[in-house]
Amino acid sequence: MTISLLEVGSWRDFAKVNSKRSFFLGVCGAVIGLLLAGYALFTARGTSTLMVPAEDVALVNQQPISRSDYLMQLQSLYNVEFSHATREQRQKVLNDMIREELFVQRGKELDVASTDPDVRNALVNAVELEIASDAITSQPSEAALRSYYQAHPERYAGEGIMTVEDYVFPTNGAAVSEAIEALKIQAPTSDLIARFGGRSSGKVGDEEFYFAAKIHLGDRLFEAARGLPQGGVSARIEMPDGIHVLYMQKNVKPVLLDFAAARDKVLSDYRNERIRHLTTGDETFLRKRSNILIADDLR
Amino acid sequence: MRIVALSVLAVSMVAAVLLRGRYVEAHLLRADPGSIPSDATLMSFATGHGRPLFDAHCASCHGPAGHGDRTKGIPDLTDDEWLYGTGQVIDIERVVDYGIRSHHPKAWNLAIMPAFGRPRPSETDAKIAPLTPPQIRDLIEFIFHEQGRNTEGIASARGASLYLGAGGCYDCHSTDLRGDSAIGVPNLIDKTTLFGDGSRQALYMSIANGRQGVCPAWVGQISPAGVRELALFVYSLSHSVGSKHDN
Repeated sequence: MTISLLEVGSWRDFAKVNSKRSFFLGVCGAVIGLLLAGYALFTARGTSTLMVPAEDVALVNQQPISRSDYLMQLQSLYNVEFSHATREQRQKVLNDMIREELFVQRGKELDVASTDPDVRNALVNAVELEIASDAITSQPSEAALRSYYQAHPERYAGEGIMTVEDYVFPTNGAAVSEAIEALKIQAPTSDLIARFGGRSSGKVGDEEFYFAAKIHLGDRLFEAARGLPQGGVSARIEMPDGIHVLYMQKNVKPVLLDFAAARDKVLSDYRNERIRHLTTGDETFLRKRSNILIADDLR
Repeated sequence: MRIVALSVLAVSMVAAVLLRGRYVEAHLLRADPGSIPSDATLMSFATGHGRPLFDAHCASCHGPAGHGDRTKGIPDLTDDEWLYGTGQVIDIERVVDYGIRSHHPKAWNLAIMPAFGRPRPSETDAKIAPLTPPQIRDLIEFIFHEQGRNTEGIASARGASLYLGAGGCYDCHSTDLRGDSAIGVPNLIDKTTLFGDGSRQALYMSIANGRQGVCPAWVGQISPAGVRELALFVYSLSHSVGSKHDN
């Protein structure tokens, strides 16, 4: 009894060497080490495992089939939630996904990308996506978006709107100047224009966006028109078909959309530009590290 | 010896907490997403873990309470309107995973509101032609008429023929203007507006300048368990105690 109490006392006393304690702690260390090694071995990415991770529904040659993709496919194919799907429906979707994975893996082995243009296109798209993943899976700050918006104001202006009349007078018409003076005083009517030998070109007259007016009037007349205020009359503009005079009924200049109104477009443009930037950068890198030989006649 | 015992106890407790967390996460992932909201334990675990993820990844746009911002077209996650899908956990999870117009091939990429006041309204469909300002105003009158608001009769009739004809609006928003949540097209005659206050001016801005809100894809950035926790947290925002979904 005395001996055992002494042994217990020395077990607790870390100042004294105790062989049983050393053995016990050594065994504990080995067991913990083995547990950690075993856990890491069966759960680390890239290692072969016999367990299907909780986030997946299957492993096909260690390639996971995601549970979320499985559920999505089940829903899109049968329009049912997992709990309401029949065993056959669940099995069908799983089998289809396993089949797809097997064929993809076989396709890689056969190097179908070297011959099939669809596969090549899909691969190009997939690699571009991979390159752009940083931009796709991140949310820029409001400050970054605002500074982008301020740097590109021209992209976030609405279209201007104008209602303009375009009158044509004969090239030898001496009355054009008088017509211009008359238009400055009173709104145009067909009688008034006819009195000076003119006519409407028929190209414009309705309220339309700037881009449409530019198409209808042509560049030269549009440039003259866009600067006119409401009720403004242009100077005479000589064109092959006669002398044109423009009368502006309404001119709403393009207005810069405020940040809140344009934010969705700013965000979209910002991301697209980042994606373009990443893709271009990666292409440059790939070209740099590759050995590309070009035929003499195409250099 | 006491120190050793305490250390072993502390390590065991930490390990137990971690293992429990892993166990519940695995259970959460293996459970049918549709049935999780009725499991109080899983739901409590998920929303507890989902909240910090929401703060880190979603709150910058949707706001800390998830109310969104209509002036910027950021949807309110606490109401009962779902633009994409029907608001089931699996639908929310899909948005968290792959985003909306995020460029991810599995994202909701189909619905993009053309800018009918631009020379080329759609980047992807050259057949969509621009409209004139009066035509846009006619369309607005038609939408107002269908919403049961006061409108200008003749303009509304012109708008109706545009909606069902040359404007091609019916193609996405459907002939009854109720949209299609299968592709993320908004209902034009309900009380909820995604962009602006539903006024003529706000509608004009949407039709003339187009809309293309973006939600990033978080797949690969957030673990699968995190995505589910986040989806369940978002689900809980519109199904909180006292909400119309509260069972």
